[in-house]
Amino acid sequence: MKIFKYLFKENPVFVLVLGLCSTLAVTTTFEKSYMMGLVVMIILILSNLIVSLIRKYVNNEIRIPVYIIIISTLVTIIEIFLSRYSKPLYDSFGIYLPLVVVNCIILGRALSYASKHKVINSLKDALKCGIGYLVAISIIGLLREVLGNGTLTLMNDISSLTGYKEVIRIFNGNIFPNKLFLTSGGAFILLGIIIGFINSIKKGKEV
Amino acid sequence: MKFIKENGPHIKSNDSTSKIMTRFLIALTPIICFAIFKNSVIVYSYASKGFIESLHPLFMIIVGALTSFISETLYYKIVLKNDLRTSLYESYRSFGIISGILLALVLPPNIPLWLVSFGSFTGSIIGKMLFGGFGQNIFNPALLGYLFISASYSNLMGSPFNAYELDTIGGATPLSNLMNFNYTGSFENIVSPFGDLFNLFVGNIPGAIGEVSKLLIIISFIYLVITKTIKWIIPTIYVTTVFILTFIISKYIDAGVWYSLFHILSGGLLFGAVFMATDPVTSPLTTIGQILHGLSLGILTVLLRFLTPYPEGVMTSILFMNMLVPLFDKIGIKARNNIRNIIIIVITFILIIIISILNITHKLDKNSSNVSELDSKVNILEVKEDGNKKIYEVTSKGWGLIKADVEVEDKNIKSIIIKDSKDETQWNEIEKNNYIYKVIQNQNNIDKLDAVSGSTYSSNALKNIVKKVKIEEAK
Repeated sequence: MKIFKYLFKENPVFVLVLGLCSTLAVTTTFEKSYMMGLVVMIILILSNLIVSLIRKYVNNEIRIPVYIIIISTLVTIIEIFLSRYSKPLYDSFGIYLPLVVVNCIILGRALSYASKHKVINSLKDALKCGIGYLVAISIIGLLREVLGNGTLTLMNDISSLTGYKEVIRIFNGNIFPNKLFLTSGGAFILLGIIIGFINSIKKGKEV
Repeated sequence: MKFIKENGPHIKSNDSTSKIMTRFLIALTPIICFAIFKNSVIVYSYASKGFIESLHPLFMIIVGALTSFISETLYYKIVLKNDLRTSLYESYRSFGIISGILLALVLPPNIPLWLVSFGSFTGSIIGKMLFGGFGQNIFNPALLGYLFISASYSNLMGSPFNAYELDTIGGATPLSNLMNFNYTGSFENIVSPFGDLFNLFVGNIPGAIGEVSKLLIIISFIYLVITKTIKWIIPTIYVTTVFILTFIISKYIDAGVWYSLFHILSGGLLFGAVFMATDPVTSPLTTIGQILHGLSLGILTVLLRFLTPYPEGVMTSILFMNMLVPLFDKIGIKARNNIRNIIIIVITFILIIIISILNITHKLDKNSSNVSELDSKVNILEVKEDGNKKIYEVTSKGWGLIKADVEVEDKNIKSIIIKDSKDETQWNEIEKNNYIYKVIQNQNNIDKLDAVSGSTYSSNALKNIVKKVKIEEAK
């Protein structure tokens, strides 16, 4: 039940409603969503590690610029890596990959947790948050792609990296996919419904 | 003294909601009858359609009403855990049927039944029940359902023509026809394809099943006002504002009074004004608020009609103004018995109207220069005639030069055969999206079609071909 608590009770997207920019913008296919989740998770872990390591040497007044520099360095590394090894994915992320720098989950965790706690605890916290974000963005991406396009892209853009390609067609001609979910407005509605659903379950448990 | 806290609508009479609902149904009856007469009886007698097929509009209305009633009942039963009797009573009391019927009436006649059901369901559940049920909804449920349908399945909505009109008229609805002429043009171009203004008034034109007959809508309006079921201020101010604004524009483009009458009589303006904008839950309560609501609706409708590629504008403006209803009510309370505030409001609205008209006239000026821009981009090399078929050989400027053969039959583009597209860098995107097919499908409102992302130049080149050939055919 502990894992359920991390995933749904302290989820950064569904409960704290943080990091919505990438959650709503890149989740048009399942593959893009989980890759974005992985990218954010890796950066979160690394930034928490570094921030926690240097926490005693950083002056409180300049900590935000320092953290931004750390995070943007990490994001740049990932960006260069992706553009070298998986150009299609890099292209389809577009501006939202550099924008991970200002993702409030990463900066928020660095400011509120990693700067005050030991390395091991910071890593644990980053892992919890990262997995929560990964699960949330994957759920949204899965629902959006299946409902909006009728397909499920397991691996397409990164197939040059893994050597495996799979796009499942879920609806055939009889059921028409709902284009609304591919727009950002539809993503907002979907997110709202999911949050409402989780809240109603939580409320039922507390009472 | 005893205070009672209740949700809107706050009706200041002894009428119960069920009485109001009955009156609404009575007012809708002639409109429904006309919809069935126009889209079923005439289609059955003059076009070769089966009996069941031609009853499609009736099924649409039944499906719309039933779906919203059943989905609301199920919501009360399953989510709010009432017993069946209470659920049925609650959904009966909350005007569920009416929003379903209204939704069906603003839809085009050829829409699949499951789509009506989908719109009705989303309208009632997302638009009404999730907000807290009757009296709590911000948006008009019927319009929200319409929005959901058009945002989700715009390709399945079908044309606004019934089978009989497809045979006789073809082409465009009054408003999209107006848009094809860039909002200017003579009486012969704009009104004559549909007979005359009287035809528009009676409802002998293509359009959504319920909104075409303005005569019956006005009769229903008078009935509803006499029985004090709806507020007369909003529709009157709304229509008057549209009339005045289009009258000023018609003076600018040297058209007569028929131009503003055409704007009022075409599209869903009267239907929206009478049945949608006056929804007791989603319209202001104060008199000044209602006046401002009507004014803003009129201005927004005219702006949307002239400045966006969507020629309708009524539904969007009503939905948008639904959000501002609390604001209008607040202004209405503040401005009552306060001359200074009223003067501020009047000056603001005069300024808004002036800015809107300046914007529209600017757009109209730009449109007339756009035509010559189109000439420089698309060239017609040769026209071959073969019976009732015509083949245009055209070149269009994208990244390089696209060469194509356009086959036209009865003023409709049947096919576009690309002969040369080697200069287009992103041509595979066009092919991947099946864009040429989409261009042919949307030839009557080509401005609505979005370009393929990543290949805007080539998509615009294709759209320009269609525009040019259409203008050439209209000559």
